[in-house]
Amino acid sequence: MEGLVRFLTHLAILTEIYGILALTLNFQFGLTGLANFGHVVFFMLGAYTSTILLLVAHCSFPVALLGAIIVSGIFGFLISIPTSHLKSDYWAISTLAFAEIVRKVFYNENWIVGGGYYRGGAYGIAGIPAPLDHYFSSGMYPFFYLAVTSFFLLAIYLLLEKLTQSPFGRALKGIREEEVLSEALGKDVAVFKMKAMSISGALAGVAGSLYASYMGFVGPDQFMPLVTFVVWAMIVVGGTGSNRGALLGALVIQVFYSSTRYLKDYIPIGADRLASIRMVIIGVLIILTILFMREGLVEEKKKHYKL
Amino acid sequence: MLTLKNICKSFGGSVALSDVSLEVEAKSITGLVGPNGSGKTTLFNIISGIYAKDKGQIEFNGENIDRLSPSKRAKRGLSRTFQVSKAPEKMTVLENMLLAGKNKTGESISGTLFRWRQTSGIEKRNLRNALKLLKLVKLEHLANEYAGNLSGGQKKLLSLVRVLMTDAELILLDEPTAGVNPSLTRELLNTIEELRKEGKTFLIIEHNMKVITAICDKVYVLDFGKNLAEGSPQDIQQDERVLRAYLSGKG
Repeated sequence: MEGLVRFLTHLAILTEIYGILALTLNFQFGLTGLANFGHVVFFMLGAYTSTILLLVAHCSFPVALLGAIIVSGIFGFLISIPTSHLKSDYWAISTLAFAEIVRKVFYNENWIVGGGYYRGGAYGIAGIPAPLDHYFSSGMYPFFYLAVTSFFLLAIYLLLEKLTQSPFGRALKGIREEEVLSEALGKDVAVFKMKAMSISGALAGVAGSLYASYMGFVGPDQFMPLVTFVVWAMIVVGGTGSNRGALLGALVIQVFYSSTRYLKDYIPIGADRLASIRMVIIGVLIILTILFMREGLVEEKKKHYKL
Repeated sequence: MLTLKNICKSFGGSVALSDVSLEVEAKSITGLVGPNGSGKTTLFNIISGIYAKDKGQIEFNGENIDRLSPSKRAKRGLSRTFQVSKAPEKMTVLENMLLAGKNKTGESISGTLFRWRQTSGIEKRNLRNALKLLKLVKLEHLANEYAGNLSGGQKKLLSLVRVLMTDAELILLDEPTAGVNPSLTRELLNTIEELRKEGKTFLIIEHNMKVITAICDKVYVLDFGKNLAEGSPQDIQQDERVLRAYLSGKG
């Protein structure tokens, strides 16, 4: 029973962290129409920045979190400068490239995290402190951390919902629907895209920071392009354009992803083969959604004005 | 108000416009006609900044606007509609209208988060204006419908009233009456005349000569990317070169 509670708490924390990633990707793709295939980069930058600030600069957790927000937000802004004029498919490819470049830098340069033998680079960094952990027993700490991630998930959900419903969100939606028309109506499309990328990048950085302190370890292998596709699966299944859909999608995919990990105890297939089968099933899920349920589980909210 | 001097544009080897000049006076309704493929829409794209011209000059209110992006031109008061109506399909008719309305505070992040009173004030004003315009073209009952569900003619009407939301001084209309039924066409033309009286200026691409004679003060005729003729609608209809271009399809 205790094991089950521990597992469910772990699952909830991961779902919430991925929920933040799904919400922010939805803001880019679902609302603005920016097909980001390198969303993991903000997760990675958030995690690494937070870790470096905690371990190398010995900052407190709030400072590390703020640093993660700033660095990933600035990165969102920077990558949208040279790419803002690209059409969606080219834009998608460039984001994939940016994410891999950053990952390779962390992979090969261990001085970034302070250097040392078996530390940084491909080895990753262990021993990342979790906030306020000395106030809790190790059994109770996950519950506290769940409260922390819940707080940030809720705050980010409310913020993005507010932005989506505002004239700012409407302009982003206009860009998604008809870029040329929006430009002709006086919307500076490039600037709006930069704003969308900076905000969602910054907020996705929060997920990275929370993840690093929860796992206690970061390494370049945690931020493979595959992570981006899992987040994509969440918003496609949940319903693009809907923040609630993104959250529901995060729940469905994360539950499926984490719980099938234990299937190997019950059915006789090897763990590595199971991992591959899991990805195949997620792929099939995406295809089924696109074929039979284009809107996903939750449809985009239609704005209804009282006349 | 708008002066084009010797505009040239070619796509690869094919010349779309060569040395086209044109002048639109403030508070006038100017027509732009010509056979299919004569370069009218290309000229619109150059005026609104969607294409870059190869040569020539574009002046708007005495200022050179050659290097401005489409959105900057729109902000200075130059807006347009598109021949094939573009409508953000998964936005409602009202959202379409409000998208065009000016709400600089509301479209900034800080405005959304911290100046919501100002934002919602502007929003309410825009909403009233939008409903008034929708009533004018008899689309008010579809206000909360997705624009993607409108018919072709309704989309055309929507694009006209949407461009009016921008508050532009000069409005470029690309075939505003194509696909619109006759009674609504009359309504539309009345609206355009009303707006001209209020101080707006129009440049209109139109194939329907009745429309041109009904409302235009001056007409420019393009053929094969060149100025063919200009003058009052009556003169143009008598012009032999114009008749030949339209009837034979060859200059």
